[in-house]
Amino acid sequence: MIKIVIIILLGQFSLNGICRDKIVIGSKNFTESFILAQMLALLIEDSTNLKVEKKLGLGGTKVAFDALKNGAIDVYPDYSGTGYSMILKKKEILSPVDTYQIVKKEFTEKWGINWSKSLGFNNTYALAVRKNDARFEKIKKISQLSNKVEKLKYAAPHEFMERQDGHRGFSQSYSLNFASNNITAMQSGLMYSAIEDANVDLIIVYSTDGRIKNFNLKLLEDDKSFFPPYQVSYLVGKKVYDDIPALRKIISKLEGVISEKEMINMNYQVDFYKKSPRQVAYEFLKKKQLIDLDFKFANNTDGLFAYLKSKKQYLVKILKEHLILSFGTLFFSFIISILVGILLTRYKYLAKITFPFINTIQTIPSLALLGFLIPIFGIGTIPAIVALFLYSLLPLIRNTYVGIQSIDKDLIEAARGVGLTNFQILKLVEIPLALPVIFAGLRTASVIVIGTATLAALIGAGGLGDPIFRGVATVDSKLILLGAIPAALLAIISDKVFALIESRCVSDGIKN
Amino acid sequence: MIKVNNLTKSFSQTKKPAVDDISFEVESGKIACIIGTSGCGKTTTLKMINKLVTPTSGDIYVNSLSCLGHDDVQWRRSIGYVVQKAGLLPHLNVFDNISLLANIKKRDKKQIKERITYLMNIINMQDIDFLERYPKELSGGQQQRVGIARALMENPSVLLMDEPFGALDPITRGSLHEELLNLNRELKKTILIVTHDISEAFKLGDQIILMDNGKIIQSGSADDFRDRPVNLMVKNFIQGQLND
Repeated sequence: MIKIVIIILLGQFSLNGICRDKIVIGSKNFTESFILAQMLALLIEDSTNLKVEKKLGLGGTKVAFDALKNGAIDVYPDYSGTGYSMILKKKEILSPVDTYQIVKKEFTEKWGINWSKSLGFNNTYALAVRKNDARFEKIKKISQLSNKVEKLKYAAPHEFMERQDGHRGFSQSYSLNFASNNITAMQSGLMYSAIEDANVDLIIVYSTDGRIKNFNLKLLEDDKSFFPPYQVSYLVGKKVYDDIPALRKIISKLEGVISEKEMINMNYQVDFYKKSPRQVAYEFLKKKQLIDLDFKFANNTDGLFAYLKSKKQYLVKILKEHLILSFGTLFFSFIISILVGILLTRYKYLAKITFPFINTIQTIPSLALLGFLIPIFGIGTIPAIVALFLYSLLPLIRNTYVGIQSIDKDLIEAARGVGLTNFQILKLVEIPLALPVIFAGLRTASVIVIGTATLAALIGAGGLGDPIFRGVATVDSKLILLGAIPAALLAIISDKVFALIESRCVSDGIKN
Repeated sequence: MIKVNNLTKSFSQTKKPAVDDISFEVESGKIACIIGTSGCGKTTTLKMINKLVTPTSGDIYVNSLSCLGHDDVQWRRSIGYVVQKAGLLPHLNVFDNISLLANIKKRDKKQIKERITYLMNIINMQDIDFLERYPKELSGGQQQRVGIARALMENPSVLLMDEPFGALDPITRGSLHEELLNLNRELKKTILIVTHDISEAFKLGDQIILMDNGKIIQSGSADDFRDRPVNLMVKNFIQGQLND
């Protein structure tokens, strides 16, 4: 049984490396990246027989770029400035053309990754304030803020806080003396609500973000040209670039065709009108007469019932993915943890080594753990299951160990004295008596795994986290709830089901 | 018959042995009591006879068979073993506790049932339907009776009992003493009881073995101990306890 599951999982994993009848498109987790990924997907579906697989909403540049490097995805959209400053770690600000030439050359040399020509618009970072904020009435340029921001509250995405060309260089270059407790790193989707409610005064945004219009913000001019140019291209992995020449032709159809205004409008369509990125991408391609196919899209402003109906297929798909992730993990880790837990009761010195180790795993933040696993396992289901597996070890192994360890020693000796073998003692005495504690561990593990499995969406493993993170990225609470409610229900139901199984398995003689 | 020859157990090289070169014999059908203060080596001796503890040196015979060369598990199964607080498995009901070994040996279900009905009569628990109950639903005395029934299930010729009545109130203990004596009259088992209670030893034991510091100080009948204690320590031990 285990063998079969491993073979299937490995099979899925390695297939896209061998056969070239499929293209895996990735995206990062913000609206524009979703739209650009969908646009390419639509064109490929329209003009080739290639199967398109989408790993959208990857949790950051590092995840997406690592996935491209090791072949877990074949293509994703990214920005020249990001490649220049974040991946190549270069600091000197150059013209858009020079920046592009450098990333194109160095990416090909270093990793065999090909940059398409720019799709047209420039989407750089920008500093935004509320239009109706009186304090900024006369301020047009960022340099006007120099040494005047001590009392202002400022938020930026996590990635910006970390980057070479990000917060540190930016605040130094303009002498922005924010008080350290006024600086917040935030998920970009949440920043907009924060500035709307005046919880923050200044936020770092992408200049083409549709929400700038939506939330009535104004952009301050980067008059010192601090931010490098951010022109978007499709990054294509070496293999697929060589193997599928058709892809180059398809991408070339999009080169230089999207203006800044058009991109802002597309982002706005998703963020404000709650259209799906796919629909917006489709409408753009139709308008530009780049696509022949006819698609129908459900209207997102319909009632709840119609909304759910339109999402039924999607919901079934992510629910299935989530169930496989959670219960696949629990199945493996339950079997392994029981065996390890029993082993540790037999060799106590191993317990002294093992527990600090699995305790430490538990303290690694889930996203960081996923980050560590990407270079080893790539992206998708496998690293997600490995991470969830590692998280479920502690409650399961510890409870098995403690459950057996806390059984009265005299009872074990009495059983041995009666003439039970070691295995019979394990089977007939230790396990039945430890069952309530083992079940408590299983229930804890199941809640941890089902909850944490939502993060799997950030590394392209799908599941109920997919709509949650998309919803957060595009300020779409309906979409968030579409993932969050089933995830919560799943956790509650699985806890109740395990409780029911527990009450069936545990003897009445040791129930309270 | 139980026979012990030059039995020694050292738990560490440096300390003096827990059991130090002891020899004794219990005749078939008799009850012997090993008595002594805690730490005197009496429980270790009993556990060696049941092969729960491996002797450092010496030999043990049960019904003329030497424990050396016998598989531990098979050896234990041929001996009835009763411990303080009965050692019943809390997750099994009375029936399953008594038939634990019989089930492992895959004995015929009908025979098991008949045997258990018989044993419930022996331990005076035939009246109510105790078989369905779990240990927590029984009194201490009832648990100990079930423990004895479990030890008798496979009809061993030898019973080893480690402080079997130690956790019971005096009245229950008294009635269980009577029941054990009756049972032995009927079944003719060879019984070795470890106890720290001299009055219990006097009441039950055909033979009493007094241990101190791992050695046997005196062995003999109750009369021998009362009338002819071998030294002052024995005399004080007996009187000290009987006066309590």
